[in-house]
Amino acid sequence: MKPELKFVDVIAQQQRRHKRKNDLACFEHTFRSEVTSVYPLTEMETIYRIQIIDPEERKRFRFIPGQFLMLELPGIGEAPFSISSSPSIHGEVELCIRKAGNLTNYLAKVGRGAIVGIRGPFGTGFPMEEMHGQNILLIAGGLGLAPLRSPIAYAQENRSHFREVNIIYGTKSPANLLFTYQYDMWSRDDINLHIIVEKADPSWKGAVGLSTDILMKILSGRSDDFYHNTYAIVCGPPVMFKFVCKMLNTFHIPMQKMFVSLERRMHCGMGKCCRCNVGSTYTCIKGPVFDYWTVMNLKEAI
Amino acid sequence: MIFRTFKKDELKKLVEILAAHNRIVGPVEAGRDKHGSPIYAFNEVSDFNSIRLNYTTTKLPAKRYFLPFQEDLSSFRTEGGGWQKIIDYNADKPLIFFGLHPCDINALNKLDKVLMHSVYPMPYYAAKRKNMFIIGVECIPQTFCFCRSMGADTALHGFDMFITDLGNKYFVEILTDTAYNFLKSIRTEEPEEKDHVLYMKAVAERNKKFTTRVDTTDLAKILDMEFQSDVWKHWGEICLSCGTCSNVCPTCYCYGVEETVDLDLKGARKTKTLHSCNLIDFAEVAGGHNFRPERHSRLKYRYYHKHRGFVEAFEESLCVGCGRCGESCLAGINVPEVIASVRGGKIKK
Amino acid sequence: MKTKESDTKTYLGMPLYRPKVGFFEFSSCEGCQLQIVNNESTLLDFLSLVEVVSFREAMTEKSDDYEIAFIEGSITRDDEVKRLKRIRKNAKILVALGSCACFGGVNQLKNRFKNLNWVKKEVYGRHPVDTEPVRAVEDVVKVDLKIYGCPVKKEEVEKSVLHIALGKSIEIPKYPVCMECKANENICLFDLGELCLGPVTRAGCNSWCPNSRAGCWGCRGPADDANVEYMKKIMKEKGFSEEAILERLECFGGFADFLKRKK
Ligand SMILES: Cc1cc2nc3c(=O)[nH]c(=O)nc-3n(C[C@H](O)[C@H](O)[C@H](O)COP(=O)(O)OP(=O)(O)OC[C@H]3O[C@@H](n4cnc5c(N)ncnc54)[C@H](O)[C@@H]3O)c2cc1C
Ligand code: SF4
Ligand code: SF4
Ligand code: SF4
Ligand code: SF4
Ligand code: SF4
Ligand code: FES
Repeated sequence: MKPELKFVDVIAQQQRRHKRKNDLACFEHTFRSEVTSVYPLTEMETIYRIQIIDPEERKRFRFIPGQFLMLELPGIGEAPFSISSSPSIHGEVELCIRKAGNLTNYLAKVGRGAIVGIRGPFGTGFPMEEMHGQNILLIAGGLGLAPLRSPIAYAQENRSHFREVNIIYGTKSPANLLFTYQYDMWSRDDINLHIIVEKADPSWKGAVGLSTDILMKILSGRSDDFYHNTYAIVCGPPVMFKFVCKMLNTFHIPMQKMFVSLERRMHCGMGKCCRCNVGSTYTCIKGPVFDYWTVMNLKEAI
Repeated sequence: MIFRTFKKDELKKLVEILAAHNRIVGPVEAGRDKHGSPIYAFNEVSDFNSIRLNYTTTKLPAKRYFLPFQEDLSSFRTEGGGWQKIIDYNADKPLIFFGLHPCDINALNKLDKVLMHSVYPMPYYAAKRKNMFIIGVECIPQTFCFCRSMGADTALHGFDMFITDLGNKYFVEILTDTAYNFLKSIRTEEPEEKDHVLYMKAVAERNKKFTTRVDTTDLAKILDMEFQSDVWKHWGEICLSCGTCSNVCPTCYCYGVEETVDLDLKGARKTKTLHSCNLIDFAEVAGGHNFRPERHSRLKYRYYHKHRGFVEAFEESLCVGCGRCGESCLAGINVPEVIASVRGGKIKK
Repeated sequence: MKTKESDTKTYLGMPLYRPKVGFFEFSSCEGCQLQIVNNESTLLDFLSLVEVVSFREAMTEKSDDYEIAFIEGSITRDDEVKRLKRIRKNAKILVALGSCACFGGVNQLKNRFKNLNWVKKEVYGRHPVDTEPVRAVEDVVKVDLKIYGCPVKKEEVEKSVLHIALGKSIEIPKYPVCMECKANENICLFDLGELCLGPVTRAGCNSWCPNSRAGCWGCRGPADDANVEYMKKIMKEKGFSEEAILERLECFGGFADFLKRKK
C-alpha cells in the first residue's frame, strides 16, 4: 500500500445538507431572496419585504420573534437585522432598516426587485409559548419598535392565549413615530396601546414624557396576581431598558421574566468571529435576546 | 492505545517515504536572532535534514495551515442586478504535520471544540483539519512555558502518532489506523518493560524542567471579581494594541469579514481576515460607537475570552500556556505576570 | 488618456458615479503618481472608473473641470499655496496622496534646520528660491481623504476610487503594521537587533519594509490609538539611542504631533 493520505472532501460529503445548525454547509448557505416591497417610514428608516426565491426553501424557513438574520449584498456588505414581521409567515420577512453605512445605503439605492442574500435565522428569540396564560408588557423605545413588531404580531394572532396585553411605545417626538398605520389594528385586537413622546409638537394631543411614566401608571395598585403573572419584552437603547427593568423590579416582577435584545458588532452570527462578545458571552448565539437577570450578570453589558 | 518503538535511523526513512507521496510541514530554522540563537518556524519540508526535531517553541504557531490569516469565504459573479455565490473551502491537499509539541496539539483540540464541535461548525477549518495527519513529538520545556499549569503539557488525543525520545530509540504512541499503516513501511518493535521504564523516566525528567507556574484556581470567578481592578489600567498603559499576541497565539481564532467588489466590476468577494481583540476597531459598530475604546478594556477582554468565556462554554481555558504571546510582546506583557497581578491586586515589579 | 468607454458602468444594476479627476503635483518626487501609471494590469479598469482631466505625468491637455483632486507633495512656496487654494475651490473632494501631502513627508525634515537660509544655499546653490517651512496639504486647505504611504500603494488608491464610484465608505486600517508583519511571518526586527516603528505605524502597506528585513520608518504615520510614548521607552530600553529613535519618528512627519506634545 502506498503511504499516501487520501483527500477527504467535506464539501461533497455535506453538499446537500444545510438544514441543521451542525451541518458544515450551513455556514455560508445563503437564501437567494428578492426585495419585493419597499416602504419608507421616515427619512432614515425603511421597511423592506424580502422573499426567499426558491419555493422549497421558503416553506422550510421558520423563525421565532426576536431572532435576526444576516442580509448580504455581494461586494457591498453583510449585516445583522432583527426580523420585524410575523413568525407565522414562512419564507417572507420584513426588515425595518435604518441607513447607517455601506450596506444599508446601497440597499436604499437598489430598492425593489433587488436580489439579496439572507442567512439565518440566528440567535435566541422571545419565549412566546412560555408566556401563554400570562399578561405581557411590550415596551419599545425609538427604533426598538421594529424588533418588537414580531412579538406584537404573535400576540395579535394568538390573542386568546394571553391575558392583558399592553404596548408602551416612546419616542423623542411625534415625527419619529414608526408604523403609525398599524396602531388601529393593534387596538382592535384588544391590545392596549400607550404612546408617549418626549417632546410634543403643536399638533400632538397624546401623552408627553418617558415610557416609565406610563409603565408606572399601568403597574401601580395592581394585585399580586398581576405581578406574579406578567412577562415583559423591552426593546430600545440600553439606557431605556435599564430604567424600565429597574422599575419592573420594584414591582417584584422577576428579572427572568423580563427580556431585552442587545446589539453588538457582528461579522458571522454563528459564534465564530468573537466580535459580538459582551464580557465573554456571544451575543449572536446566547442572544440577542437575553433575560434581564443574565444581562445583569454580563460584564460590559450596559 | 498501541505502543511501539523503533530505532532512531528509521525515522529518517519514515519521513522520506511519507515525503515521497505527501506534503509535509515540520519545524525548521528560519533564521538566527541577534544573540545567534536559532528562530524556528513551521515550513513545508522535503528533506529530513532540514527538520529540527529538538526545536524549541516556534515564534509563530502552525495556525496558518488551518486558519490562514486571510481567506475568501465566498466569491460572486455578478451580472446586471443578479449574482451567483461560489463557495470554496480552500482545501485541496492533505498535509502531514511532523513534530508538533503537546501544547500545539492541545491548541488544535481547543480550536476543534469551538470551530468544529459547536453549533455552526466552520467548514473552512474542518476541511483543512480533516485533511491533516499529525505526528507529535515530545518537547524540552523552556523558561516561558507554563502549559503544565494549563493542563496542556501532555496530549491525549488530537494526533495520529506521538514520538518520545528514549535515548537510543523512539517510543511511539499510535492513535489512528492511518498511522498504524504508515508505520508498516519501517521496522518497529513491540516495547519491552524496560522501554516503559525509560519512557517514564523521560517524562519525569521533562517534568522537572517546568519552572513557570500560573495559579488558575478559581480564575474565571476571580477575573469577574477583579473586573474593575486598577491593574488592568497599568497593563493598558504599556500595551501597544498591536495584535501580535493574538497572531502568535495558537488558539486565537477571531476574525473580521469584508466584502469587496473587483476592480473590473464583474465579481466580488467576501474575505475573512484574522483579527485581534486588542486592535482598536474590534468592537466598533455602525455609527462609530466603540464598546472598548480604551487599551486596557481591550487587553482585559483578551484575558476574559481566554480564561473566562471559553471556560464557561467548554469547561477549559483557551490558553495552552505556550508562552508565545509573552515572548513576542515588545511591551513584555505575559500571561503569568498578568494573572498574578490580577490575583494579587497589584503589579509586582 | 481618455478611455473609449463613455457608457456608464453599473454594479448590481446600479449606475456608478464616474467622477472627473485631476492629479496635481507639488513639492514631491512624483513617485506616488508613478505608482498609479505603472500599474499596467489594472490600469484600464482603473481608468474606466474615472475620467482623468488632468494628469501631469501622462498628459499634456489639461482642464479645470474636475470633481476629485488628488494632491501629491508638500507645500513649500507661496505660489503653491495660491495654486492649492484654487484647486480646492474647483474640487468637490480633495485627496492628499502620499506622505508628503499628508504630513509633509521627507521634505519636512528641512524644517528641523532653524536657519533656512543655510538650507537654501546648500540645496539650491547660488539660485536661491523662495522657500518657506514645509507644510502638509491639510495645514493649508481642508482635506477630505488621506491616502498614506511613501509611496502610496496602488491597491489602496484603486480601492479608494472604486469605493467613491460605488458610494462605499473608504476604510483604511486603524491598527499598526505589526499585524500585517506577523501575517507575513517575518522575523521581528527587534529579534534581529534592529529598530522598527511597526508597532505604532498605521498598517495598509502590507508590512512592505519588514518583508525585506528593513525596519519600518513610519511613512504611513501613526495608527489610531498608537502608544508612541511607551514605544519610545521600549526602544530606549532595547538600547537604541535617543537620536536614532528621533530620526525615525521625524523622518516622514507623521509623528510630529507626538513629538511636539512631549517637548
Ligand atoms: C442583533 C442585531 C439586530 C439589528 N437589527 C437592526 C434592525 O432591525 N434595523 C436596523 O436598521 N439595524 C439593525 N441592526 C444594526 C445594523 O446591523 C447596522 O446598522 C448595520 O451593520 C449597518 O451596516 P452597514 O453596512 O450599512 O454599515 P457599515 O458600513 O458596515 O458600518 C457603518 C459604520 O460601521 C463602522 N465600520 C464598518 N466597517 C468597518 C471596518 N471594516 N472597520 C472599522 N469600522 C467599520 C464604521 O464606523 C462605519 O461608519 C442590528 C444589529 C444587531 C447586532
Ligand atoms: S499585549 Fe503586547 S503583543 Fe498584545 S497587543 Fe499589547 S503590546 Fe501588542
Ligand atoms: S495566550 Fe499566550 S500563552 Fe496562551 S496559548 Fe496564546 S500565545 Fe500561548
Ligand atoms: S482572545 Fe481576543 S484575539 Fe484571541 S480569539 Fe479571543 S477575541 Fe480573538
Ligand atoms: S518587525 Fe516591526 S512590524 Fe514586524 S512585528 Fe517586529 S516590530 Fe512589528
Ligand atoms: S513598513 Fe513602515 S516605512 Fe515601510 S512602507 Fe510600511 S509604513 Fe512605510
Ligand atoms: S457575530 Fe460572530 S461570534 Fe457573534
